[in-house]
Amino acid sequence: MENLAIVAVFIALGYFFGRMAESRHYQSIHEREQAFLHLPTTSSKKPLGHIGPITQARLVQGNVVISVDYFKRFLATLRNIFGGTIQAYETLLDRARREAVLRLKESCPDADQIINLRLETSSISKGDTERIGSVEVLAYGTAIYSQQNTSQAAPQ
Amino acid sequence: MKYQSSLPEHNDNVSHQHPVREFALLMLGVIGFILLSFWILGFFVDLAVDSISPKDEAELFAEIDIDWDFGEKSSIQKQTRVQQILDALRLCHDIPFATPVTVVESKDINAMALPGGRIVVFSGLLDSIKSSNGLAFVLAHELGHFKNRDHLRSIGRGIVLAALSTLLTGANSSISQMLTSTMTLGQAKYSQSRESKADETALQILNCHYGHVGGATELFEALQEQEGAWNFGMLHYFDTHPELQNRINAIYHLSKERDYQVGKTQSLDNSVSF
Ligand SMILES: [Zn+2]
Repeated sequence: MENLAIVAVFIALGYFFGRMAESRHYQSIHEREQAFLHLPTTSSKKPLGHIGPITQARLVQGNVVISVDYFKRFLATLRNIFGGTIQAYETLLDRARREAVLRLKESCPDADQIINLRLETSSISKGDTERIGSVEVLAYGTAIYSQQNTSQAAPQ
Repeated sequence: MKYQSSLPEHNDNVSHQHPVREFALLMLGVIGFILLSFWILGFFVDLAVDSISPKDEAELFAEIDIDWDFGEKSSIQKQTRVQQILDALRLCHDIPFATPVTVVESKDINAMALPGGRIVVFSGLLDSIKSSNGLAFVLAHELGHFKNRDHLRSIGRGIVLAALSTLLTGANSSISQMLTSTMTLGQAKYSQSRESKADETALQILNCHYGHVGGATELFEALQEQEGAWNFGMLHYFDTHPELQNRINAIYHLSKERDYQVGKTQSLDNSVSF
């Protein structure tokens, strides 16, 4: 009976703090995505549009680790029994991906474009079912700088 | 081709269903599944129990010599006295095997029916009962468990519970913990219904033997008094036994319904000093 109460408390704590953290994170993601709209980022191997002679190209990366909260983990385990999409983890990974790309962009605010964007996901504490799992997303790509200044460089 | 920088209007990578809704649905599913399987397996246990005749049962357990270690045995006088009261009830029930009694020195106020026909009485129980009628009721209650085959049922259900728990420990530990608690609740509810049934049988035996049901509620009343004094305790009698007042009330109602009289009780101390 005590076990039940403890689990319930953890689930409730996980839910409230997890929800709070998530909505704050999404708010920050939306704002920063808007702010970095001027920096085109593609998975293309070549720069988009007409871009002047490239002066510099360098590897840039953004990395983030986000932890699962107790509620999400509980929900995912319940899902394990029935099958189906683990909706609880969808927002977690969505946030991680977008945060990683944002960090990548923030590392090179003066670049003209970021090309060849790649994303990699890995789970930390893999296989260790007893511990709270967390997910890592690594975004990497090539930032290219051209002679033209940034405002002209944006391929229109 | 032009590159248009814009943000997507919708996030198509996440589901927009509320997580609490999902949580509630999944929980209902799991708990429903567990209770249903517990109920179905319990049904099969009952079926199996009904198919074992008391004779087979006696033979089965005669070969198994389990060393029940409940503690130090009480004096021969105590054992014989309790055995006498129990044997005197024999005319009033039809349990086809011997029911030896073991009295164990313990503060616990409890008695139990073991598979194979043995009844264990903790000496704490003898200290809190004043009349032989009261003791006879408790012994008759244990006989009721034998008559209703509750010892077999509880073994069967214990196995079911263990099997289901083991099955679930493969899952996440917090979930299997939760499910085990749920099942234990179900088990307790079931045990309560068996206790009421044993009380009913005991009342019948008591009335048959003494011609009245005086003293039937003596133990419960004594326990109630102690409960008030101790509040908590090692009285694991309470764990599976329905709340005392409920049991007392049920006994009153049943006595009225069946027109059992309440007569004078015989003192336990008069017959023998423990
Ligand atoms: Zn009982």
